[in-house]
Amino acid sequence: MSSQTTALNSGVHAKKADIFCKDEARVDWHSKALWVLREKRDRAAGSLPEWEQLRQLGSEMKLHTLTHLGEYLETFEKNCQANGIVVHWAKDGAEHNQIVHSILAKHQVKKLVKSKSMLTEECHLNPYLESKGIEVIDTDLGERIIQLAKQPPSHIVVPAIHMKKEEVGDLFHDKLGTEAGASDPTYLTRAARAHLREQFLSADAAMTGVNMAIADKGAVVVCTNEGNADMGANLPKLQLHSMGIDKMVPDLDSAAILLRTLARNATGQPITTYSSFYRGPQDGGEMHIIIVDNGRTDMLKDKILAESLKCIRCGGCLNTCPVYRRSGGYSYNYTIPGPIGIAVGAQADDTHSIPWACTLCGSCSYVCPTKVPLDKIIHHHRRLKAKAGKLPYGKRNYMPLVGNFMASETMLNCSMSVARTALRILPGSLLKPFSGAWGKYRELPVAPKSSFEAWFNKNRGQ
Amino acid sequence: MSSKQSILNALKSVAVAPQAMPPINVSPRLDDVIGQFETNLGTVAGTLHREGGLAALQAKVDELIKEGKQVISQVEGVTGNRSAPETAHELKDIDFAVIPGDVAVAENGAIWVNNQHLGHRVTPFICENLFLVVSADKVVANLHEAIKQIGLNSGEFGVFIAGPSKTADIEQALVVGAHGACSLNVYLI
Ligand code: SF4
Repeated sequence: MSSQTTALNSGVHAKKADIFCKDEARVDWHSKALWVLREKRDRAAGSLPEWEQLRQLGSEMKLHTLTHLGEYLETFEKNCQANGIVVHWAKDGAEHNQIVHSILAKHQVKKLVKSKSMLTEECHLNPYLESKGIEVIDTDLGERIIQLAKQPPSHIVVPAIHMKKEEVGDLFHDKLGTEAGASDPTYLTRAARAHLREQFLSADAAMTGVNMAIADKGAVVVCTNEGNADMGANLPKLQLHSMGIDKMVPDLDSAAILLRTLARNATGQPITTYSSFYRGPQDGGEMHIIIVDNGRTDMLKDKILAESLKCIRCGGCLNTCPVYRRSGGYSYNYTIPGPIGIAVGAQADDTHSIPWACTLCGSCSYVCPTKVPLDKIIHHHRRLKAKAGKLPYGKRNYMPLVGNFMASETMLNCSMSVARTALRILPGSLLKPFSGAWGKYRELPVAPKSSFEAWFNKNRGQ
Repeated sequence: MSSKQSILNALKSVAVAPQAMPPINVSPRLDDVIGQFETNLGTVAGTLHREGGLAALQAKVDELIKEGKQVISQVEGVTGNRSAPETAHELKDIDFAVIPGDVAVAENGAIWVNNQHLGHRVTPFICENLFLVVSADKVVANLHEAIKQIGLNSGEFGVFIAGPSKTADIEQALVVGAHGACSLNVYLI
């Protein structure tokens, strides 16, 4: 899987998007599927008069926690230990993977059932454990589909959103022995249920991600619709939970705020089917929590980037993003795609292109349940890339000039007047190449005779 | 330096000034709380039985047993034909589990279940179908109220269950019955 992941991740965003856009009908289908989620989200949000209050509370509560994170993490660890939970700390993905492996090796685990965790994707845990001879079974249906297809997730909540049911049918026929040509979602889901039930019953250990970690209780909350996290964690006697340091919340009341917005913003459901609170292992069992940094403390050192750690991974910003919907999850050079993927992945992006996979329309910030200022963060990433001299090819040549133009009002006004004249008198074929990818499928705008400023001064100005 | 120490040290230079914890005062919607609960339970694909209470549930259980179904009950006053086994794995052929819920939430149809009443923690997930029993005076308006009433002592497990398990991972088509129970019926007492 890792070689495939690397292949998929090479190349700048626009190039990868080009590949996705070759099949226009599929792009439309993809975009519509995500827009349906956005519409459901709007209905769910609209049905709560206190929606905006909850967003504000979520934002303030998360910022409070992030600015007192050291204290909360220590309190959390102490309370976990009092509940019989073993807590581990990992500074990066490699250390996280080693810790997980050492726990599994100590218990001679041969088969691990996992529920969805973007953190373990970020750490590339599966290939690591597989290289050590441990069988890893992803149990979320969407994750199992892409695992069988040897693909990375293309969305953080619905990881197989890019696949058509016929493709899933062919895959299941090949891997699970379902009838050839069968593509009915209910039939395929039942087949996966039967297949995964065997895995749950024969697993030696289970691993889940964490939606919220509750400091004053020493407990973790795991949310799923399928029940896969709980089928896993409650059958074998060994349960592991990996969490980023940003998953911390002070108490149960704080968790309630996020539980009210998470599913509503993700899929439009009032709450996920299961919101499970683990405050200790089962009788005779063992429970481990691995707390992971992996770059998060660095982000906290930048005032603007810090706010991206308020994210609760609902996926709402992906569903609403006009670029994500039409470029697909594999066009971002990072495990997490979409606006939040740019926010937390741009620094590691060696193509230096993903901060530009954004129109700065701000729709993401508007839907975010914890008010992560995504457009502001993405814009900030562009400046950071420019400052570091890391502008992607194409932008490297003209962006510094753009910067100067924008900074000088006179120059901007002069140049805009030239542009208006050019748009009026020069043929489109001559001008279009200057508009780059933007102009490929668009006509150039009709130029107004005068600028807004001139119009304003004439009509409204003093 | 340990990783824990290096993480804690790094957290001393967070660039954002310390923010206060906001007070949480969200007004609950108090009109027809049970009606709201019924509507939202329906939204998450569960069914509410308002009338008949435990007697109706026992009659249903007797019927199922007659059909040859395996029923386990953790609710006092309802008798099934199976008792809690030694290991969790032995629950794999349970057709119906009857479990008491502690608190029900009107705004989202969720019911809090604590592991003290579960026998094995996996019971409400591994059973093919689930019956939850909840007292009418334990239905609260929203999650803020519910969270104050739930029990979660040291070492325990608890879960809000909202409907049967479900997925929409194949082309966004909703399928009820993923890995957990395939149906949920709630009896109000
Ligand atoms: S940034 Fe906001 S909208 Fe996007 S996934 Fe995170 S919480 Fe959801």
